[in-house]
Amino acid sequence: MAKNITAESNGERQKTRLSSTTILFMFLVVMVASFAVLSKDFYSVYNLSSMLTNISFSGIVAGTLTLVMIMGGLDISIGGNIALTSCLVAYLYNLENPPHIALIILIGLLLGTAIGAFNGFIITRLDLNPIITTLGTMAMTRGMGYVLTQSRSILILENVVGFIGRGSIAKIPFPLILFGVIYTILAVVMARSKFGRKIYCIGSNQEAARLSGINVRRVKFITYLVSGIAASLSGLILTGQTAVGMPQHANGSELDVITAVLMGGTSLAGGKGSVLGTLAGVLILGVLYNGFTMIGFRYVHIRVFQGAILILVVSLYEVRDRKRF
Amino acid sequence: MDNRLLEMVDITKRFPGVLALERVNFDLKKGEVHGLLGENGAGKSTLIKILAGDYSKDEGEIIINGENVEFYSPSDSQSRGISVIYQELNTLDTLSVAENIFVGNLPKKKGLRTVDWKTLNRNAKTVLGRMLVDINPRRIVGDLTVHEKQIVEIAKAIYKDAKILVMDEPTAALGEKDTVSLFNIIRSLKLQDVGVIYISHRLKEVFEITDRVTVLRDGRLIGTEVTAETSRGRLITMMVGRELKDMYPKRDVPFGKTLIEVHNLTIRGIIEDINFDVREGEIVGLFGLLGSGRQNIVRALYGIDEKDNGTIKIKGSPVFIDTPAQALLHNIGFMPIDRKLEGLALTMSVFSNITMAHIDELGSGYFIDKNLEMEQSQKWVNDVNIKTPSLETDVNSLSGGNQQKIVLAKLLETGSNIFIMNEPTRGIDVGAKVDIYQMMENLCEKGAGIIMISSELPEVLAMSDRIITISQGKITGEFTRKEATQEKLLQAATV
Repeated sequence: MAKNITAESNGERQKTRLSSTTILFMFLVVMVASFAVLSKDFYSVYNLSSMLTNISFSGIVAGTLTLVMIMGGLDISIGGNIALTSCLVAYLYNLENPPHIALIILIGLLLGTAIGAFNGFIITRLDLNPIITTLGTMAMTRGMGYVLTQSRSILILENVVGFIGRGSIAKIPFPLILFGVIYTILAVVMARSKFGRKIYCIGSNQEAARLSGINVRRVKFITYLVSGIAASLSGLILTGQTAVGMPQHANGSELDVITAVLMGGTSLAGGKGSVLGTLAGVLILGVLYNGFTMIGFRYVHIRVFQGAILILVVSLYEVRDRKRF
Repeated sequence: MDNRLLEMVDITKRFPGVLALERVNFDLKKGEVHGLLGENGAGKSTLIKILAGDYSKDEGEIIINGENVEFYSPSDSQSRGISVIYQELNTLDTLSVAENIFVGNLPKKKGLRTVDWKTLNRNAKTVLGRMLVDINPRRIVGDLTVHEKQIVEIAKAIYKDAKILVMDEPTAALGEKDTVSLFNIIRSLKLQDVGVIYISHRLKEVFEITDRVTVLRDGRLIGTEVTAETSRGRLITMMVGRELKDMYPKRDVPFGKTLIEVHNLTIRGIIEDINFDVREGEIVGLFGLLGSGRQNIVRALYGIDEKDNGTIKIKGSPVFIDTPAQALLHNIGFMPIDRKLEGLALTMSVFSNITMAHIDELGSGYFIDKNLEMEQSQKWVNDVNIKTPSLETDVNSLSGGNQQKIVLAKLLETGSNIFIMNEPTRGIDVGAKVDIYQMMENLCEKGAGIIMISSELPEVLAMSDRIITISQGKITGEFTRKEATQEKLLQAATV
């Protein structure tokens, strides 16, 4: 009998789980409303649009990291990947005979692809723990950035790269368009596609997925590959926004990105989570930083809030998931 | 009345929307083994959890040694001498046997207050000796067999002076020999006036070890019987609420062409030169003891483990199977031995589990055809008789029997016609078992072939058309349904 009951109450609990993303978005609306009241500068088209543009670079990697984490993996090499991409692009542009800008951008994206492929290869073929693997790639990529630039910042005042970071189409900032397009694709992939379902299955029970004929290695490899590509795309955006390639770019950003994903309801153990949840997490963090800055708090204070909110939100998930009566 | 250890009177427990237990009475005497029977969901676990202090009761009384008690937590229950040994054992696998038994109360040396290992190991030996077992207290628990771990847990309970011991499906993971050993331990506990509440699905064991049996159904007490004065049929009727004429609904299905042939299957040092075939409409039972290699045979056949040699022919032509995906491509379906470890994605819904081995066939292109998926899942939920609140329900909230049926549904959804079924009814209740047997027979009628591995001899004898015995990685005998007897099989399996 007890088991039947859990079944029924779990039916109800599932409804609340579906709406947990809704709750996050409601929380977001409350935050936006409060900041709008507290600061008249906050609720302006200019501020909101620049805020969204600022979060799109970390938002994109948060989106693809969601896939990795639902699969039960982790990729902490994204920050290093972003930095190395930006260094390489700026370095190539400043060569005496620079290649065509289109080629430079392609090489930048290929670099991310290669880093993702490397992670994927090590994790699927050598069965190494993803945290250890990407911890290694994180140090390697960040270090290579310093070596390549000899620890300097390299200016890159180039129109196409600038457009990726600062341009706009029909008054909509270009990074924001990328952000929107990528989230739409990721959300549809995870909710509707066969590939997305396989990611959930692997995250929930890898052995069961394998015995069900799912090509676990392939799905994992592709997912790490996508994470690598997204990171280099973010690297291009950041390079465009700052007009500089430097090895310190996105330092520590992997932890903020993980924070956003966890706040969005994705479980570290895998098998659970959603792209929409991560979107809410990314937006909440963005509004948090922008809003508190607007009403006079400093970065160091807001970091304290960020940590507190992460623990608060995730403990709410935990409490809700407790099986005890 | 004087020798009553425990009385539970009119216990009622409500969960939101459901009455889990309704005025249930239960009692336990000193030195008695009292069986608790019921299908999954009958209320056994709820009753035990109330006794263990995990759940609080809504109404009723718990009386221990004539004293009315209230439990607010598991430690309240333990301090009254109640110990529960769950199916999933709670041993600390990186510590030694002695440390496990005395955890929380290790003897310390005077002065530095460091652990007094000598005394610890000596005490552990004494406790184990009381149960007439001989396990080196220095061994690391992680290296022990399931049965030995179980002994460690029982020893821990004995040391804590448990007067009431609850055992939840203690033999589920045990072989024949260990079961005998466990029963000896239980008998030695009886002599020390310990009362044992014994929960099991295996009626044979209930008759062997218990003094009385209590049957629950749908949260109500159906009755308490003296074991020596009741019968198997009566207990089954009490459990399922209807007369179950046929526990094993075996039908007479004519055999067709040969579906699959296995030739010279070998994994060096594990299995050697295995040859057998399965025909349409046939159930072939592979019978062997734990470690005989029967698992390795089917795992190699399904492409999970590598094989060193061997040819597999399907309908006469040789096929290449190196991964589960390839096996599925050749219409071979596989039911793993452990549904939680290898069969189900527990955090996912009923429908995603049912379609898990068939994702690529759910619509053309990159996307899942949601309507098709729901239609298919609903069909299997009906056909296999899965009791679930909805298709969206998480699988981990369903009972073991229903989870096992989902594993079966997943197998059927693949559209295979050769099925490898590993312990198809392990740890599930009688009603669910019969449902699964019915489904197996339906498959045979449609021309499928089934390779079944089971540790339950009655099941093997009743459901197989042909039985192949395995011992030490080799085939040691082959029996038709008519020839096979329990003795013959056991003899061939222990060559």
